[in-house]
Amino acid sequence: MTTPTQRITQLASHLDPRTWSGKGLAAVSTKNDSDVVVVALGRTPQCKAGKGGLKDTPFDVLVHQTLKGVLGRVPQLDPALIQDVVVGNVRNENAAYYVRAAALAAGIPRECPSLVVNRFCSSGLMAIRTVANQIQSGEISCGLAAGVEHMSSHAKSAPHIHDDLAKASQEAKDCELPMGATSEFVSQDFNVSRADQDAYAARSHQRASAAQKAGYFDEEIFPVQAHVKEGDATSYKVLTQDDGIRHDTTAEKLAKIRPAFPEYAKEGGEAATTGGNASQLTDGGAAMILMTRRMANELQLPIVAKYVATAVAGLAPRIMGIGPSIAIPKLLDLTGVKKEEVDEFVVNEAFSSMAVYVQRQLGIPDEKYNTTGGSCALGHPLGATALRLVVQGLNNMKRTGGKVVVISMCVGTGQGAAGLFISEQ
Amino acid sequence: MQRRPPSGPHSRLDTPGFAGHNVAWSPFYPDRLAVAAAANYGLVGNGRLHLVGVQDAPGGALPQLGVQKVFDTQDGLYDVAWSEINENQLATASGDGSIKLWDATLNDYPIRNWHEHTREVFSVDWNNIKKDIFLSSSWDASVKVWHPDQPRSLTTMTAHTACVYAAIWSPHSPDVLATACGDGHARLFDLRANPAPTAGNPGAVAGAQPIATVPVGGEVLTLDWNKYRTFNLATGSTDKAVKVWDLRSVSSSAGSMARPPPGAPAGAGGGLGQVTAICTGHEYAVRKVAFSPHSPSLLASASYDMTARVWDVDHPSASLASVASRLGQAGGGPGAMRSLHDGHTEFVVGLGWSLFQEGLVASTAWDMSVHLWRA
Repeated sequence: MTTPTQRITQLASHLDPRTWSGKGLAAVSTKNDSDVVVVALGRTPQCKAGKGGLKDTPFDVLVHQTLKGVLGRVPQLDPALIQDVVVGNVRNENAAYYVRAAALAAGIPRECPSLVVNRFCSSGLMAIRTVANQIQSGEISCGLAAGVEHMSSHAKSAPHIHDDLAKASQEAKDCELPMGATSEFVSQDFNVSRADQDAYAARSHQRASAAQKAGYFDEEIFPVQAHVKEGDATSYKVLTQDDGIRHDTTAEKLAKIRPAFPEYAKEGGEAATTGGNASQLTDGGAAMILMTRRMANELQLPIVAKYVATAVAGLAPRIMGIGPSIAIPKLLDLTGVKKEEVDEFVVNEAFSSMAVYVQRQLGIPDEKYNTTGGSCALGHPLGATALRLVVQGLNNMKRTGGKVVVISMCVGTGQGAAGLFISEQ
Repeated sequence: MQRRPPSGPHSRLDTPGFAGHNVAWSPFYPDRLAVAAAANYGLVGNGRLHLVGVQDAPGGALPQLGVQKVFDTQDGLYDVAWSEINENQLATASGDGSIKLWDATLNDYPIRNWHEHTREVFSVDWNNIKKDIFLSSSWDASVKVWHPDQPRSLTTMTAHTACVYAAIWSPHSPDVLATACGDGHARLFDLRANPAPTAGNPGAVAGAQPIATVPVGGEVLTLDWNKYRTFNLATGSTDKAVKVWDLRSVSSSAGSMARPPPGAPAGAGGGLGQVTAICTGHEYAVRKVAFSPHSPSLLASASYDMTARVWDVDHPSASLASVASRLGQAGGGPGAMRSLHDGHTEFVVGLGWSLFQEGLVASTAWDMSVHLWRA
């Protein structure tokens, strides 16, 4: 039975300017032939860079495995129907060559082109957005979006901004700041204490641990045949589980870890960012196949979710972590969906400093925020994470019956991005 | 709000404690009007069905209104429809999900009560051609067809996924109905069109999928059929505009027993229809539209901007070309607006044209009064 408050809310929405132009949850939830829908999705296990299960797997093999994994979710789909392959990747050398080769090797015909996109940690979402925008504009009707990063083989070099730019703009110079420095600045500028960050990180591990043990991730993961190098010989091992989760970590244990970026601590203060409360360096991939709803219905493919929109935002590079606190309101404004109508916010835990700040700033309740853990526990393979968050969020919606999921991430050099999906599972 | 010239005379009936949500003129008696009303603006509390007598006044003055009988209900009433086969019976739509059938010659209690909807029933409409059925639409996203003598609904349509604010039978085709939905679309259904039963859905319901889905914009709160032009209907929505649609391209597939191909998405089988006029001027969402029973081009609308307006939908300034050229300009279509009733002091949420006296309109508002005025 509807309460008077619900009736008031219903009538009040008639007077809300956002509904005058067809925005709002009811409008974005409608099913139209021209919608962009997800028909298949999944991810590889996420493994610790340098030490974990995927460290010896070459980057192109990892891309190949990721593409085969998602194609394997819909064996009835003829790969010849895919009209673009877009892969998010940030720092793997020669990525564009390897992505093209991997697509060809995975059985996607040569007539389907491929593209690498890089907006740092949002690259996975940018891959989805690139495919979706092409579908919405009618340029293609079906595309494959992926994100893959092999951090084990990253070069160790760091960018250095030339003095010509540094003299013109301090923010330009700030673009070379290590990510850990930006985390220190966020915790200082916005009063996020070390204790808050450790408590948050511990919760991330606990939630991920519970989810893994309950088998929640089994639905998301497709097994990967990893390479294992022993001397000169290579053997193969099938991996099915994430290996970064620390099952019995606690805030007390995390409190003992030394800060990783003490040089960025405030004058007379303590640095707060540690290896324990920051995201892990990880190897992994995730992918999805998108097409128009008309095509999905004609091919009789089950529809997982409707892609609605993405918002991107820019902000000061030195505090890049707050990106979601700007991108999420921008996304909600763009679509007319209200914060209360969102069933889960899946936000990349680049650092606990920004994860805590974003939840606090936007007033998101605990039960709607990273409910099965985040990058502190599962890891953050840069170009893949954003897509992995979508896979995780939609899997959560399937399990809980929720509908509306917002994915968001901060982006190094001062950006943020957020995407909205409506689950139809 | 912009200043406007004072509107013309009106006669007035106060219904203290209850705000009328809609009116229905009797199709049998020219001096009878029903008003569905609710306490506390329909948000909480009781409802009241008023049977109102309309008494002609001498010398061309407006008729006077007087309450003859009331029926009280548990929850607010949002709509009322007179029976087409029994001059004393009428159906009401209630906020508690129930639909009641009343007999005006009796007192206090309804003669039927149906409770199938799980949320507010926002509209009821009696079929003018197949006079033994009526329909209801609800915020539970379903539309049901009823027979006054049957204890359960005849059909339930579940094709919508958001509140169905209004559902109205076509005045020309007895099996066709149009719905106004909170998801921003108006839809046409044909109860004769059966979707092909599939292995997964052997018990497919008649008319389950719309034969046309028209993207209106905003939440569509109301719609009405033109009584003189077939498949021509007007919508009012939260985008503040009244739009008129020509859906004759849809009519060719209506009742042709055409089955949509298996797996076809909703709306397959007909064109989208053309918008032929846009009447702008209301400053807030449009809550009710009604075509005149006496003219093919006169349309009345009621809005949250506390006014009711009458439009000439054939007027050149309502045409698309004119609206497009005035994009971005404040106000609009003064030529298309024939008259404006400014007498209400709260949201105007219901109105209806008299079936017997041309140009006479009754309107109800949250100011707890019913006004009678000439268009």
